[in-house]
Amino acid sequence: MENIININKDVSVVAYYFRNAGERLRCFPKRIEWEGKRVDFTETGLRHPTKKGQRMVHVFDMTDGNADYRLEFDAEHLTWTLVSIADISYAQSNLFAAAH
Amino acid sequence: MPKVTSLQLPINSEQPRIMHIDLNSCFAMVEQQARPLLRGKPLGVTNRKTKNACVVAASYEAKHRGVKVGMPFSEARLHAPDLILVETDPPKYHYVYQKLVNIMKGYSPSVTMKSIDEGIIDFTGTERINRRSLQEIGREIKARLKDDVGKHMTCNIGIAPNRFLAKTAAGLNKPDGLDTISYSNLRSTLSNLELTDLTGIAQRNEARLNGAGIYTPLQFLDAPSELLYKRVFRSVCGDDWYKRLRGWEVDDYESSVQTVGRQYVMDEWQPSEEALRARLSYLCETTAMKLRYKGLAARGVMLYLMYANGDHWYERRIFNQPFFSNSDVLTRASLLFNRRPKDDWVRMMSISCYNLQPSNINQVSLLEEVNRETWLTEAVDQINSQFGEFTVTFAASLPAKGLVKQKIPFGSTRYFELLCNSA
Repeated sequence: MENIININKDVSVVAYYFRNAGERLRCFPKRIEWEGKRVDFTETGLRHPTKKGQRMVHVFDMTDGNADYRLEFDAEHLTWTLVSIADISYAQSNLFAAAH
Repeated sequence: MPKVTSLQLPINSEQPRIMHIDLNSCFAMVEQQARPLLRGKPLGVTNRKTKNACVVAASYEAKHRGVKVGMPFSEARLHAPDLILVETDPPKYHYVYQKLVNIMKGYSPSVTMKSIDEGIIDFTGTERINRRSLQEIGREIKARLKDDVGKHMTCNIGIAPNRFLAKTAAGLNKPDGLDTISYSNLRSTLSNLELTDLTGIAQRNEARLNGAGIYTPLQFLDAPSELLYKRVFRSVCGDDWYKRLRGWEVDDYESSVQTVGRQYVMDEWQPSEEALRARLSYLCETTAMKLRYKGLAARGVMLYLMYANGDHWYERRIFNQPFFSNSDVLTRASLLFNRRPKDDWVRMMSISCYNLQPSNINQVSLLEEVNRETWLTEAVDQINSQFGEFTVTFAASLPAKGLVKQKIPFGSTRYFELLCNSA
């Protein structure tokens, strides 16, 4: 069974926006930081919109090559949330402290 | 010129104009697209992550190891001990479904989605717009799926003169195939298939055909209409098969909704009375939601229970007045539920509403109490639409709220929007 850790914490995000890219790659969250940890993403798996009541939330399934991360961007409140990390055992050994 | 009847119908020699598109192992492939680290690994998708839950979709890596759709997780793990199991994520599949529909609608106004992961484009009448060959369009659709959704996405495409042969063509070279069945290669294609490779021919129909001396698809194709009608299928189905195999269209129809319901396999081995009623309440709520979503009201309710010893019990009843509210469905289902045998533990519970008719929810009644019930239902629906499904719900349903999940339907996409709203 795979290892999924629910995080559900607001995170700081550095995102790239590509004006001329297709819808799939228009927004690329490159880096997240939370609680002194930092992850640099290498690929977007899937970006899909979903609704929570009337609020539009964009779900980003990202990877840094070692673990899969689920991020949510709340289009109403403009907040980024790290929802979960899959394969945390890989992730933990590859997290870099932002303080370094 | 002699009149052509179904008894001596030739093979359809028209240019193939039907395209069948089928996403490969849809849910598993979407999960692998979303999570790159799952690619190349045996993956199963399930509605519930428990030992006895069944695999609703398996990746090709899992299928190569013997994992089949519908197999319990415990059995699947025997075939692939490193099988990774993930839970279904309806909004993700809905997004891919919408992308696929948008791509398909770019080529013809006649697009029919047969299920979440397969659809049909009828190119008849679009010759002046689509001047390219259907094979070229098929390759473009595959490329657009990768561009719009992701590079891991693949699909099978079948092209033929009718829906049945197009679906057969789509299944010839999985995964990522693109095949055409036409007048010229129909016999050679069928000669490489088994009877059960044909959609709609499973064990029982195979036995019927075997009984008439038909053992291969080619013999099936060559069988006279009268034999199929009178000896094999003993109904108009025989005539349909005769036409279907020859490339004539018989499957171009839409089925209407006859019943609306939910079923649930109990999460406890020995559920208490309270647990049963909580789950019944939840199932009734979601059934009523489905009714209103389709703008329908029902007059009949059926309750079906399966017990631990394998016995089953059901009862149904028709009521005078049509109903559509949550409490109406629950009250009527409870009437039946109270009459159930109580000799054994309930394993599975199913509730369905039938005798459907258009809902008169907008019609004001002369009876004040009927209006109040309708207005209350509308107000609750508005609140739930604003803040998410089950924001306002029966207190009795609460214990079941986290357990009874809306499931991904195998066939119909009738309730996909509703499913995604409540996911």
